[in-house]
Amino acid sequence: MSDWRAWVPRAWSLALALLLLGPALGPGFLLTYDMVWVPDLAVRPDVWGVGSGLPRAVPSDAVVAVLDEVVPGALLQKVVLLAALVGGGLGARRLVPGESLASQLVAVSVYQWNPYVTERLLLGHWPVLVGYAVLPWVLLAGRRWRETGTLPASLLVLAPLGCLSVSAGLATAVAVLAAAAGGRRTLPALGIVLVANLPWLVTGALHAADARTDAAGAELFALGPDGALPPPLAALVLGGVWNGEVVLPSRDGVLAWLGLLLLVALAAVGTRTWLRATPRRDAVALLVCWTVGLSLALLTWAAPGAVGWLAENVPGVGVVRDGSRLLVLCAPLVAVLAGCGAAALLRRVRDLGPRLVLAGALVVSPVTLLPDAALGLSGRLDPTTYPASYAAARDAVDDAGPGDVLALPLSSYRQPSWNHDRKVLDPLPRHLPRDVVASDELVVSDVTVAGEDPRVREAAAALDAGTLVERAARLADLGIGVIAVDRLAPGPSLSIEGRVLLDSEELLVVELDGARERPVPTSWVVATAVAWALWAASSFAAIGLAVTRRRRGRGTPDGRSPRPT
Amino acid sequence: MGSILSTFGSLAIGGIVASATIVGVVSSQTSSSGESPANVNQPVIQYGTEG
Repeated sequence: MSDWRAWVPRAWSLALALLLLGPALGPGFLLTYDMVWVPDLAVRPDVWGVGSGLPRAVPSDAVVAVLDEVVPGALLQKVVLLAALVGGGLGARRLVPGESLASQLVAVSVYQWNPYVTERLLLGHWPVLVGYAVLPWVLLAGRRWRETGTLPASLLVLAPLGCLSVSAGLATAVAVLAAAAGGRRTLPALGIVLVANLPWLVTGALHAADARTDAAGAELFALGPDGALPPPLAALVLGGVWNGEVVLPSRDGVLAWLGLLLLVALAAVGTRTWLRATPRRDAVALLVCWTVGLSLALLTWAAPGAVGWLAENVPGVGVVRDGSRLLVLCAPLVAVLAGCGAAALLRRVRDLGPRLVLAGALVVSPVTLLPDAALGLSGRLDPTTYPASYAAARDAVDDAGPGDVLALPLSSYRQPSWNHDRKVLDPLPRHLPRDVVASDELVVSDVTVAGEDPRVREAAAALDAGTLVERAARLADLGIGVIAVDRLAPGPSLSIEGRVLLDSEELLVVELDGARERPVPTSWVVATAVAWALWAASSFAAIGLAVTRRRRGRGTPDGRSPRPT
Repeated sequence: MGSILSTFGSLAIGGIVASATIVGVVSSQTSSSGESPANVNQPVIQYGTEG
């Protein structure tokens, strides 16, 4: 493919990403639902997974905490979001067989501009989007491994990168195994998958006693309708997120149905082209991913009771309760079939002019059918700046006596006016330099899904104690040395005996006397350190492998890599 | 004849898609946000609402 033809998909992918993110790339922090970025996330015990709560943000928080020592948090957030969108689109483009530029552009459009991307972006699931971006590249690396018989160094970086959250890790594991398993590759592939997921596996196992989730969540987080589309059809177009608040208004109308019809038609027309042009093993890999993703998503919709029972009784099963999140596995095949469908249609139009027009129409059709995704989801992705009191709170906690921080009120989400009245997971804990005990209870459609952290329940019981002094003493016994109150959050006002370190319009920080340090068992520290060391070693091994191969390649007479053995 | 029809057909499709894209994007950017404003009286901020 000539140079300019290679650059067109790159430019288109970048243009789509810029159009989608729009104002989100402006100054400040984008805070939306679970997406909380701060100027400098502290490298503290709970980012490694040894806090008292379930390690839900492992390994993503640790990666951010380390990287933002070098790159400012606000800039890092924008780089990650932009790279996730562009990386995913360009990966999908490479999965499309053949040289048709139009089919590649259609695949890029479908992969980057769909309900899955917009809904997960608005929900703030950035590690899921990183996994989404990595998925096509993992499939490509698996293909290269099969074709050359040599493990691609890139897979040792891609796999950990795709496992920044638990659900993304599961999806990446399925993709690695679907693409690479077979013969002598199976065991190494299993090893790569295991190491890539090791941080959350190990730290999750350390919390196994608390890793049973409330069954109520299974029904609430199951695959749901996507605007006008009922759940099974929503899944076909990568929609169906449980939270109706993040579904864009255009999904409620005829555009959702048109989008479904167009995608199904393109897939139907493109299937034969795809099967003819794709080696059987590559087709199997994509079909396995699609089948696993769709089956698990439909399972949460068809049998939420069974999923809830499993989540409540089997540690760790709760990760699959968010049904539509698993549709990430369907996205590569959907984009490829759409691209192949476009190629098949265009082959039937002989004249250049009409073919160009039809190609253009197909390439922009995802934008046409989801227009309110443009410009930061129609302005829903507005960055903001933290009030100065958040930095002051960080300093105050830094100077306080021993003990962890208790974030009050004991509720998970905030909707502060300084964040344009938009919902966000309480951002205060991530600002602070110590481990924070914060509510992990979720309220959805007036139904409360119980949290798992036993320390939160103990702190809630302590707050119910009779006198101010008794409350402070019981909290100190739990290892709580500081209380941080978000004054803008709705909730009961509480009085506690202690020394006021910060008293601002937004925040109140109070230091308690006599707090004990919460000891982390040595076995936990050792197990976690080993898990993280192996996880990081994977990337270093990739660098070593790449350098070694390059040297060997230079050493051969023709400058090519030696043949695999 | 078929060539003329396909030319006009594709021009029509292209025109409709281009117009729909522009109208859709512009109208979605100029209409009011679909997100509910904050209800500061509620005791707990909900994570979300089932679709």
